[in-house]
Amino acid sequence: MARNVLEKAPFSYLASLKFTVVLLLVLAFGSLLGTLFPQGLSEHELTSRYTPETLRWVSFFSLHDLYHSGWFRFLMALLAANIIVCTLQRLPKTLNLLRRKESALNPERLTKFSLRQQWSLAADPGAQREAVREMLRRSFSSFRELETSPGAFAAVAEKGRWSVLMIYVVHMSILVILLGAFIGSLFGFRGMMNIPEGSASDVVHLFGRQEAVRLPFQVRCDDFDISFYETGLPKEYRSDLTILLDGREVKRRTIRVNDPLTHEGVTFYQSSYGAFLEEAEVELRRDAGDPVRLRLPYRQPVALPGSNLRIQVMDFLENFSQFGPALGIVVWSEDGEPEGSWILADRPNFHGNRVGDYRIRVLEIKKGHYTGLQVKKDPGVWIVISGFVLLLVGLTATFYTSHRKIWLWMGPTEAGGKVLVAGKSSKNSLAFEQEFHHFCERLRSAAEAA
Amino acid sequence: MTSSFLLSLTTFAYLVCSLCYLAGVTFRFRPFLLCGTATGAFTLVIHSAGMLLRWKESYDLGFGHAPLSNLYESLVFGAWSIMLVYFLLERRSKQRALGVIPSVLAFLAMAYASFSPEIDSRIQPLIPALKSNWLIAHVITCFLGYAAFAVSLGISVVYLLKKKDNPGHGSSGVLGMFPTSRQLDELNYQMILFGFLWLSVGILTGSVWANSAWGSYWSWDPKETWSLITWLIYAAVLHVRAVRRWRGRKVAWLSMLGFASVLFTYFGVNFLLSGLHSYAVK
Repeated sequence: MARNVLEKAPFSYLASLKFTVVLLLVLAFGSLLGTLFPQGLSEHELTSRYTPETLRWVSFFSLHDLYHSGWFRFLMALLAANIIVCTLQRLPKTLNLLRRKESALNPERLTKFSLRQQWSLAADPGAQREAVREMLRRSFSSFRELETSPGAFAAVAEKGRWSVLMIYVVHMSILVILLGAFIGSLFGFRGMMNIPEGSASDVVHLFGRQEAVRLPFQVRCDDFDISFYETGLPKEYRSDLTILLDGREVKRRTIRVNDPLTHEGVTFYQSSYGAFLEEAEVELRRDAGDPVRLRLPYRQPVALPGSNLRIQVMDFLENFSQFGPALGIVVWSEDGEPEGSWILADRPNFHGNRVGDYRIRVLEIKKGHYTGLQVKKDPGVWIVISGFVLLLVGLTATFYTSHRKIWLWMGPTEAGGKVLVAGKSSKNSLAFEQEFHHFCERLRSAAEAA
Repeated sequence: MTSSFLLSLTTFAYLVCSLCYLAGVTFRFRPFLLCGTATGAFTLVIHSAGMLLRWKESYDLGFGHAPLSNLYESLVFGAWSIMLVYFLLERRSKQRALGVIPSVLAFLAMAYASFSPEIDSRIQPLIPALKSNWLIAHVITCFLGYAAFAVSLGISVVYLLKKKDNPGHGSSGVLGMFPTSRQLDELNYQMILFGFLWLSVGILTGSVWANSAWGSYWSWDPKETWSLITWLIYAAVLHVRAVRRWRGRKVAWLSMLGFASVLFTYFGVNFLLSGLHSYAVK
């Protein structure tokens, strides 16, 4: 006996309401922690923000990536287990209760209900039977006569039987949502791709991991455009995208924020943008000599006329140490020896603007845009959303309906007759009390009229 | 007539309305309560007209959108939702005295929106991420939930005062103007259920929107997380009430805890934690 209880203890604790409430509050507290500690910091940010002592605690509890941490997932798993165990334990009882149909009624029982009414009749109520029957039939979806003492009449009527099952729909829907999230994390991915205007790519860099996914097709950015309101606030980001399969155009779409493109389960969202150097025009001047103007496409070596040298823009910075835009220019000598320097575009007189024998001046910088796409594949989304819709249906039904049951007994007594009515609702609400008293009134007047 | 005139008028009218309710309760004089309901209902009409006019004005400025986009507009809409939900309750319960706290809350929200120097009441164009019809669905559903929780807070406060004042049935004095403890408990439960349902719809519409705007239905952004915390607290309340049969005091305290979480979701996250929902974002 004792052993049996011990074996059962963890199981029954898992199914207890105390556990559910504690779990809900612990989940709330855990989520709260995650809003107090910045999430998703890099290694570098972590070390600069916390002392080594604090950092040990932060990383021990994964406070910097709490929602993906083992313990938070464990709580979610416990919630799922709690729901499953509760359901397994209670659903059969509920079903039995619903299925059980009482066949007889002892009027004694009705005097024990907290919600009841009784009144005496002057005569045997035999004549009123039909009127009462008719009224019950009209007011309740389900109405049954029960066996009782000879000469008496007993019935049970009910409404909204199914509403007691709705709470199981709510609980199942939470499981469906968790399942959808699980499937998404198992079979989906989320990442970024930056595509310069005019080029195509099929490589997605995953978030939070040093990994990339190769798509079975390519995405080309034909055009990126940004527009502003007069106030300077951004109005719209827009990218014209083309999906390419083996170089063949398959699909063409313009995407905006809030209006993504989906192809083969992979969705592309407009998420950011940036500028890159397309081409620069520079002027080179030797200490004694005429200046030479050259157009330098980004990272393409260009021969310097009248010499054996080749010159190339290797790098570009929008703001070099607060000195404005700068080009990293390399000059290749005949034997392939490079020599290079950063050239400040906005400060033509800076003494360091030279490579080898040449003074370099930047005349024009032509920038292109790249579009920043967030890329996502999540086969669980529809499961999650269905789970949510199910949750709402279940909640609405649970909240706004209840299982209401009324028992009625009517029979002869020595002084004439007596009516006993008792009621019970799955939600112990004042509204049902009113409904019950109202029902009794109508019953009385219907019976008296008969 | 401009929307800002109508909304300023609304602010003062809610003050009058809350004073009427307060006078009715304090002097135990029911006609004042009726006056509160009348002023409140009339104000709600002006308030609605003000919001609709602001909606139209935004179109006249060339970047039309529903007036639900920044802190000012959300406070104005919040006040409107509180009064709407309260009047639904008043109609159903036929109890006017409960109007005190909702009308004060609506007045405070309007006053804060109108007079705080930190709040910009100009009509601004929408940034790209907000350009979605889901904005309307999301804000309306969330605020219906918040409003129900605000009304529930009012009921809880009255419940706790009442219990303290007179532990037995049927209080006398000022608190005698309010429904019985049992009715208060029942109304409180109904408001929590109503709020919980709308908060759930709000979270759903938000996640559908986020899924189309940011590619993820849930990103643990502080506001999302706090709405989940609120949801978990009220879920706990519903569980203890349904299964443990907790009533009255304990439920009232928990409802106040839940509303504190609502306030933090709304204000705390805006001012203290940054994220997608921060109205301070440029």
